[in-house]
Amino acid sequence: MPSVALPLSRSDVDAIEAELDQLRAEIAADLGERDAHHIRRMIRLAELSAIAGRTLLMVGIDPLSWGVGVTALASAKILENMEIGHNVMHGQYDWMNDPALCSQTYEWDIVCDGDQWRHSHNILHHTHTNIVGRDRDVGYGFLRLSDAQPWRPRHLFQPAVSVLLALLFEWGVALHDSELDEWMDGNRSRAEVEARLKPFLRKAARQVFKDYVLFPALALGNAPRVFAGNLAANLVRNLWSYVVIFCGHFPDGVRTYTVDETRDETRGDWYVRQILGSCNIDGGTLLHVLSGHLSHQIEHHLFPDLPASRYPELAPRVRALCARYGLAYNTGTLWGQFATVVRRIVRLALPAAVQPAFA
Amino acid sequence: MNISGDVAGQSVVAAARRVLTSPWLRPLNDADALDGLLALANPLWSIRALRAEVVRVIEETRDTRTLVLRPNWRWDGFVAGQHVCVEVDIEGVRYQRTYSLSSRPGEPTIAVTVKRHPGGRVSNFLHDTVRLGHVLALSRASGRFVLADPLPARLLMISAGSGITPIMSILRDVHARHRRSDVVLVHSCRTPEDAIFRRELIALAREWPALRLAFVFTAETGRLDRKRLVRLVPDWAERTSFLCGPAPFMDVVRSMWRGAGVEGRLCWESFTGAVATCRPGAGRTATVTCARSGAVFRAAPDCPLLVEAERTGLRPPHGCRMGICHTCLCRKVSGTVENLVTGAVSSEPNTMIQICVCAARSDLTLAL
Repeated sequence: MPSVALPLSRSDVDAIEAELDQLRAEIAADLGERDAHHIRRMIRLAELSAIAGRTLLMVGIDPLSWGVGVTALASAKILENMEIGHNVMHGQYDWMNDPALCSQTYEWDIVCDGDQWRHSHNILHHTHTNIVGRDRDVGYGFLRLSDAQPWRPRHLFQPAVSVLLALLFEWGVALHDSELDEWMDGNRSRAEVEARLKPFLRKAARQVFKDYVLFPALALGNAPRVFAGNLAANLVRNLWSYVVIFCGHFPDGVRTYTVDETRDETRGDWYVRQILGSCNIDGGTLLHVLSGHLSHQIEHHLFPDLPASRYPELAPRVRALCARYGLAYNTGTLWGQFATVVRRIVRLALPAAVQPAFA
Repeated sequence: MNISGDVAGQSVVAAARRVLTSPWLRPLNDADALDGLLALANPLWSIRALRAEVVRVIEETRDTRTLVLRPNWRWDGFVAGQHVCVEVDIEGVRYQRTYSLSSRPGEPTIAVTVKRHPGGRVSNFLHDTVRLGHVLALSRASGRFVLADPLPARLLMISAGSGITPIMSILRDVHARHRRSDVVLVHSCRTPEDAIFRRELIALAREWPALRLAFVFTAETGRLDRKRLVRLVPDWAERTSFLCGPAPFMDVVRSMWRGAGVEGRLCWESFTGAVATCRPGAGRTATVTCARSGAVFRAAPDCPLLVEAERTGLRPPHGCRMGICHTCLCRKVSGTVENLVTGAVSSEPNTMIQICVCAARSDLTLAL
């Protein structure tokens, strides 16, 4: 797969802009009952799955019901975080005028505070996608995931750090907007960091209370079982969301940008950057739903506020457009994409001079 | 009377409510989620939401129908003349419209009477799509277009078109509770066929001699004017009067009462009087800063902030767009606004305002 696009002329970029704007308008005009039904069905499904999971953990005594309970609760959390929370908070359902689906007030079932997420993700990441130095999602402030990021000795530990991040992924997401790295580098005052930590602590305290105090306490004698089940469900969700999200922008062939390159961007340039900076995952409906349709990361980055369940129908048209203009449309199987991510994490742990040849 | 006991009781209730709604208990007390799940079993069931089932549909005229509704347990009654906000989802989008209740208070069912407006999304939906068994979401009843207590001895009701709906409710109430009152109804509409509740009114007047009906059919005799009203009701100025109808119609009647210096005796209800569109204004245009999104926009002194915000591409939550449902409630961090409906001026910082009816009177910062 070519990793860098053919050079595009200004008129090509303008044409891409017009085509994608048209595509967007087409879907926006078609939004209706079907989309409302989809999101509400997902919400009910997540709720029922959570109730089933928590009940099994609470009342069961055998390992089988524990395993099923954990699976149900983990599925509920994955659905809620990815297909519902992430997408609702993007404003994908604001057109419905339903306060329960309002992007600005929705709060999700994860330790990350909703407002902080809206800031670090919707604003910073989606506007400045893959611009090294602007998009804090390129390495999240502590991993080296692009050659353009300078190597530091601490990056030697990044394979181990990545494993830790995968296990504790929700905590990484939750702390992201506090920008602790900026504080450690001396770019933020202590007071600024404390102000940023406040919403994180408030949300995290409630989540920890819920999963590790409230529900175990309600289970009385079964408290340890519920405690362990909730821990396992959170762990499963963490690992899954880590894999999906790392496959979004870090597989081989993805482009990163410099601040200078993107200085005078038009909307068309922005579209092109979203395409070249994002990667899809091939799969069926189940994979799409469980990834919150981030398996269509390219379409998501082009149209972050269109309902995600529309991405599969947009994908062939976006792909055809890419083919016409010689733009790389980066897609692959989940594990194929993830393997290249792992390779990149290992490769970039080392300075350029001693990097192994496999990359 | 044990006042301190009441206060203690109230604070216990308040404390219990605080505990029950505490964010620390989520998701156990997630009322949205519980309501959603209850609705799977029965669309009327709900902990918090007021919903009502359509149990009867009465076609009143060729463009008006009455929906008789059986509300769930959240309904806590109404006073004749009040209105409710009806919420419907059309093509996935939630809309709210306010309708007067036309039924008599105290019955197990309530009724709204809806006239079909050409191009009106909600009224057409209520006519074409809503059937028996359909469940609608409602707000609680509100409004000050109600009878005083004790009831005045002589009443005059003036209505035009679908303005009859709250007045019908009042008439039914007066008939049931105070049959000896002297009541005149002057109702104006295009033709006899357009007269909503006509047959029912005639039947009511037959068995209730204290009610006198005067229909004005404008297609036959022209619009109701001062002369005609004086002829129909010579003692109009002495009666406690209720007025509901289209704005131009109400302007004529109100100016008559104002001219006689008896405007205090006239109670009027307007659903279309709120400023929903922009009128060109001469005053200073203000700068509105949105604290949350970082957007900045200009707001004309006669234009609701919601409209100005939407013009710049923002999509603040909103409902009725006429100052009734409070869905658009937004925190005003600083600045002065005027409510275009009530004329109330607010300069207090950190105040919740309804941006669909408030216009800027100074530069503002909103929590948008």
